[in-house]
Amino acid sequence: MGHGKYIAPPKGQYQVAAGEKLELQFVVLPGESKDIEVTVDLTGPGAEAHLKGLYLCKADEKVNFRVVMHHMAPGCHSTQLFNGIAGGSAQVSFNGTIVVAPDAQQTEAFQENHNIVLAETAKVDTKPQLEIYADDVKCSHGATVGQLNEDELFYMRSRGIPESEARTLQMLSFLSPVIPEGREEEIEQAVRSL
Amino acid sequence: MLLEIKNLHATVGGKEILKGIDLSIGEGEIHAVMGPNGAGKSTLGAVLTGRPGYEVTEGTVLFRGQDLLAMAPEERAWAGLFLSFQYPIEIPGVTITAFLKAAVNAKRKAAGEEEMKTSDFLKLMKEKMAFVQMKPEFAKREVNVGFSGGEKKRNEIFQMALLDPTLSILDETDSGLDVDALKIVADGVNALRSPEKSAIIVTHYHKLLEYVQPDFVHVLKAGRIVKTGGRELIDAIESKGFDQF
Repeated sequence: MGHGKYIAPPKGQYQVAAGEKLELQFVVLPGESKDIEVTVDLTGPGAEAHLKGLYLCKADEKVNFRVVMHHMAPGCHSTQLFNGIAGGSAQVSFNGTIVVAPDAQQTEAFQENHNIVLAETAKVDTKPQLEIYADDVKCSHGATVGQLNEDELFYMRSRGIPESEARTLQMLSFLSPVIPEGREEEIEQAVRSL
Repeated sequence: MLLEIKNLHATVGGKEILKGIDLSIGEGEIHAVMGPNGAGKSTLGAVLTGRPGYEVTEGTVLFRGQDLLAMAPEERAWAGLFLSFQYPIEIPGVTITAFLKAAVNAKRKAAGEEEMKTSDFLKLMKEKMAFVQMKPEFAKREVNVGFSGGEKKRNEIFQMALLDPTLSILDETDSGLDVDALKIVADGVNALRSPEKSAIIVTHYHKLLEYVQPDFVHVLKAGRIVKTGGRELIDAIESKGFDQF
């Protein structure tokens, strides 16, 4: 298949054959409501898929992720990292499922979804799920929903960094693992607008 | 007068911790504030730097004639106030270089000056790191993440040297330090002594004060300064503890 690293369309079904590698990146900028549904089937031994997502909401956006990672063959490797920030009265949902078929031994599958909520009126609902039918697997998933750390914020302000700049630094460091190469400035601008 | 604290009362979580502090710091003076655990020593530093969660219920604080309590924490830093934290905060994902460059430039911007050139900033940072004997590779480390206790305290003194404050508050900077680290901290404080610059050294024991000579010593107990004097107070505390006051 030979997928390069690119910004994926919101809906897609992908098959990754033996020895191939899929990399997908999702970006949702402030003001965009999106339903992202993606299914990845790792169909041949040694197939790999790496998904990254970044989303920023500041008003009344509705952003929904539905990701299914299906390990169908032995020795496949998948990673997922989705980090987002929700402000305003945005509604974000993340449903991520990893399915490991009975004969997909030596699977390695990891999924993480981390969220920062900027306003009490913003809602984040995250549901990572594992369905594992093989016994020799390494799988983990994790989800967090939190706020910007107030102690960090005060420490920065006590050194003279203005509150807005300190928050920007915190948000950019939170997002840095999922910012696509070459889009750093655009994302920084979007973060400053939150 | 650089700092004038009058009848300062402050609460934390509804409980009164400071119960009427009066303290004046002149230019070029080093004041030691000593007291037992729970006396309100850290609360004093937190209130002076504007830490959220600490509520001033009564009293005034003037810093260089300005109403300090009306200023945001960053404005206090721009005015020349610095707190060396008892428990320095870790900031994952933010390097020391990015952190301090933002700090230095924010202060310059507030003063109507241009941003410092990156090459000049890196040079300044290197110089100050050498001064506190921090290895140059720390510049690329995330702020305080994975630092030992001593490294965190050294990082505080490094920041103090770099930001060049007019009034430094050292909150238990000596706790948990071995003798070598203690000397580095003391050298840092002594090197910053000048006729214009002042420091408040908050501590519950005398160790740091063997290396830094304070002009005044205050005993803080149950939220009030109960005694003020000179070096002789340190010796009195060392031999008889705080119960005598």
